[in-house]
Amino acid sequence: MLGATIEPALSEPQFAALVDALAADPERRGDLISFLREDHPHYGERGAAAIVRMRGWVLLAIARGEVPDDALIFILEELDTGVDPYLVAAAARALRSYPRPTAALAPFVMRALGNIRYRDEPVSFADYGEYAISPTDASAVSEVLATLRWLGPRARDILPQLEPLRAPHGGLPRKLRLDVDRALQAIRSPAPEDEPGTHSCCGTAPNGVRSMSSLPSNSRRGTKQIESIALQDQKGELITFKEYFHGQPSIVVFFYTRCDNPMKCSLTVAKLARVQKLLEVQGLVDRIHTAAITYDPAFDLPERLRVYGQDRGVRMDAGHRMLRVIADNDNDVLRRHFELGVNFIESLVNRHRIEAYILDAQGRIAVSFERLHWDEEQVVIRTVEMLKEKECGSGSQA
Amino acid sequence: MATKRKIGKRASTRKQKAATAAPVQSPENINDVRSLLKVLRDGSKPIDVRMAALQSLGAAAFSVADFDSVHADYIAALREVSTDSHEQLRRRALGILMRNKDGYAQKKLLDGLKNSAKALVPPEKALQLLSYDVHAGAYSAARSILKKPPNDEAKREALRLLAADTKSTPLFEKVLRDKKELRVNRQIAASALHSLDPAKLQARARKILLDKSDYSDIKATSLTALEQFGDDGSLAKDKTLLQSVNRFKNSKISAKYKQTARRFLSKYGP
Amino acid sequence: MDVELHINNSTAPEVRFLTWSPSPCRIRVTNPSGANTPTVSVKIAGVSAASGGSVVFRSGTTGAFSSTVTLTVPVDGTSVSFFAAGKFGQASVNDGDIKIEARVGTTLVGSVPVMVRIRKDANDLTTGERDRFVAAFAKLNNQGLGRFADFRNMHVSVSLPQAHRAPGFLPWHRAYLLDLERELQAIDPSVALPYWRFDKPAPNIFTRDFLGESDAIGTVQFSNSNPLQFWKTDNTPGINRTPDFPTSQAPPGLSNEAQTLALGTQFRAFRGMEGDPHGLAHTSFGGSIQDPATAPKDPLFFLLHCNVDRLWAKWQRKNDRFDAAVAESFDERPTSRSGHRLNDTMWPWNGITSATDPTRPPTAPGGGMAASPAVGAPGPQPRVRDCLDYHGVTDAASDMGFDYDDVRF
Repeated sequence: MLGATIEPALSEPQFAALVDALAADPERRGDLISFLREDHPHYGERGAAAIVRMRGWVLLAIARGEVPDDALIFILEELDTGVDPYLVAAAARALRSYPRPTAALAPFVMRALGNIRYRDEPVSFADYGEYAISPTDASAVSEVLATLRWLGPRARDILPQLEPLRAPHGGLPRKLRLDVDRALQAIRSPAPEDEPGTHSCCGTAPNGVRSMSSLPSNSRRGTKQIESIALQDQKGELITFKEYFHGQPSIVVFFYTRCDNPMKCSLTVAKLARVQKLLEVQGLVDRIHTAAITYDPAFDLPERLRVYGQDRGVRMDAGHRMLRVIADNDNDVLRRHFELGVNFIESLVNRHRIEAYILDAQGRIAVSFERLHWDEEQVVIRTVEMLKEKECGSGSQA
Repeated sequence: MATKRKIGKRASTRKQKAATAAPVQSPENINDVRSLLKVLRDGSKPIDVRMAALQSLGAAAFSVADFDSVHADYIAALREVSTDSHEQLRRRALGILMRNKDGYAQKKLLDGLKNSAKALVPPEKALQLLSYDVHAGAYSAARSILKKPPNDEAKREALRLLAADTKSTPLFEKVLRDKKELRVNRQIAASALHSLDPAKLQARARKILLDKSDYSDIKATSLTALEQFGDDGSLAKDKTLLQSVNRFKNSKISAKYKQTARRFLSKYGP
Repeated sequence: MDVELHINNSTAPEVRFLTWSPSPCRIRVTNPSGANTPTVSVKIAGVSAASGGSVVFRSGTTGAFSSTVTLTVPVDGTSVSFFAAGKFGQASVNDGDIKIEARVGTTLVGSVPVMVRIRKDANDLTTGERDRFVAAFAKLNNQGLGRFADFRNMHVSVSLPQAHRAPGFLPWHRAYLLDLERELQAIDPSVALPYWRFDKPAPNIFTRDFLGESDAIGTVQFSNSNPLQFWKTDNTPGINRTPDFPTSQAPPGLSNEAQTLALGTQFRAFRGMEGDPHGLAHTSFGGSIQDPATAPKDPLFFLLHCNVDRLWAKWQRKNDRFDAAVAESFDERPTSRSGHRLNDTMWPWNGITSATDPTRPPTAPGGGMAASPAVGAPGPQPRVRDCLDYHGVTDAASDMGFDYDDVRF
């Protein structure tokens, strides 16, 4: 019998039982989507490996029935940037329960193959938290290949990337080459006549999956609380949120120096450096601020911020800074304001999503990019729109 | 076995270990690797043969083209032998798994710290291996060990693991201040403090050098920390500190420590 | 009368470092007082401190070297070129332990201190050499905040295919070591990367004053005056290393130097040394150095690889394999992998990431190859072929500015 509230600090077996119960209840299955948010209380105070087990189980549970549209972005996120084989395998398997596959899914699956093929692991989905310890038929790579096979002709655009894996030195074992063959056969088969669009466009997310959202000016929020928080930059200088972000549009990314997923923070900050170069080329670097704010302010002290940014080619000056909050509860203010997709074990991040924001000239969130890799040029284009908004005076306070 | 031909070809060019130890070979292809995986998992084989197979597999990870194609099998084999009856095999397998940030190994090690009946390796080794992954969630286990350390090594490894824990700054200040603490623990505390609060380390290192009753080894650590990572400008102006270092140099200490002091003075002295 | 001596075509102190390869030098008269002819005869010689290095000279790009060279130098300031090199087998121990002196008759008219800076056997370093190396390395690490983090991040699981299990293994690691060495030299120019000769006992390396002594569980201990006690990687202090052999002896089971050099005269055969002895040297330990993705967390990694590179250099010398145009010098088969073909640039120095090439890692840490003040090669984005002729045998412009104590020019 399900209770009305979900108890925090469940043991992992209790969490798994809860997930199973929700998955079995048609009325409550949709609640599982909320379990995919990183900041869900269930994930607080857990190590990263526990998060992997828990999230994997949620994805598998959702996939016992038809995967709803609003779960798709979480699956694609894992395929796009996940580096944990178990979770990538669970996402690949879950995708096969999505009822409306399109060609746009194929690049994500192919990226997942690229991310984990050099660190394949055996996986077992029979019981919660089970780790495979014998060579079984299932590995993360085999799950991903099964999903390519499921996509069939919709995956035609990724054939040039898949075909080389068939070669003797393609890097896949013999038993998986059979899986590659099956996938290739399925992809090369004729496309169903009633299914248009077997070609993906540019690796963009499928329709309905929103990784970018923008708020019209009259919907944007600014609070006194966020405006007054004190930030410290990589030189140790203090500045308030309002002082730094008011007066011009800003591009803000979140990261932390202890992130060990090369597809996330390190790449995010390196991309911020590329954004800055685009701004320089367009003569906008003095009219738009950029900021990389750490999720881990207690550890990411100024010198650490400076070195991290420098190592990734980040420009650092009065309008472009690496930042941390300095008061303990200001981190909560920041989290609430941006609705950050992050959770912690004590003060250490245990899981986070990719997130980047464009603030308008009043420091309000105008555009957000979440979960999937954002495009540097797109970010600049959107920010220039904020600049025009400011210059036209159309971005007034709500 | 296909590998026998290859071994025969190169046997004359290889050094052999002592008669009691198994020969180690560098696998040349994936078939060799698969054979070695079988040997590793085979509990009926002598332990030195299985350890040699594990060493050879490690070498294959560096050099065999397509090694990634058997990576899943390698991980599976390591997980299997991480609970083997031979502790040396468990240690080595768990080490490789932890360097791969394997969730299975992490869970086993953490469970072992919570319940010694489940421990696969001694607590100090478990803590050392858990420190490979800062996200392992081992801080609370380390703090429990510190409350009641089963031995000196476990305490030391718990301190090392906590070196990136922002909540442990007061702990490290205390350890560095405590003259009754083991030298190695005070050394770890100095290193940890530099990460967590560099200004505190600089201040504490200075106090240690000014304290006539503190030990020469921790003074040497403090001097090394200041010389390598201290603020050059303020150190050069600190006459009191320089006088203390001079006294340290002239006291009854080892030649090595005298040299450290001399180097410091030649860098910052007048 | 005064003369100005240019070493490596410069008067800057930071370029006064020689190897066994001939370095281009120049001399010119800056103060002709006392001269009553249009030219003067100047004798150039090296004067070595006790236990210091030794220098030899020649006037042109060919011919034998000798301990002195006599040049006819115009007094109008026109420079005259000559070449200087370290005398093989007599490397410096300290910076400036050789003076290159110019005399007119018995009168000293100019001198510069130089160093014959050579990669040496780590087991045989003097205390001073060892301590300078360790101090520079610890500074580069800077408790995890230094540039060493880039070197660590160049050798992680996602980047392993750029440098391993394929023909580019040796050139990539040669570039990697050189990049690191140049960063060390930016901290202390007297430092050269030493090598761990893993087929011989090296007890002096595994001490608390050098690369540390492992305890029973493999935690490495350092003396209180060793700056490596502050070593940090991946935000964790310390080094895990469990030798599977007594460190007073060599690790067993590895091919020795003679066996390695006898692997074959073709590159394709020789590069099998990636497995034995290279891979087996790594796996003679438990701990970070045992795994490809964590190996550079242990500073011993760089000494291990310095020996791997020395073995390649020795094989090249033995078989005259410096010319990239000769197939036996480098064979890129069987691979189509980017970064392993002769004319490929190499990640991370080429800055190519998965944004433009899905076979590359997501980021390229460290930027371009560190420059040397003394030599121009291999440039900021070295190609595989640029890493073959490391001391300028076929083309003097290829000289990368390093040499090994037991590998001749």
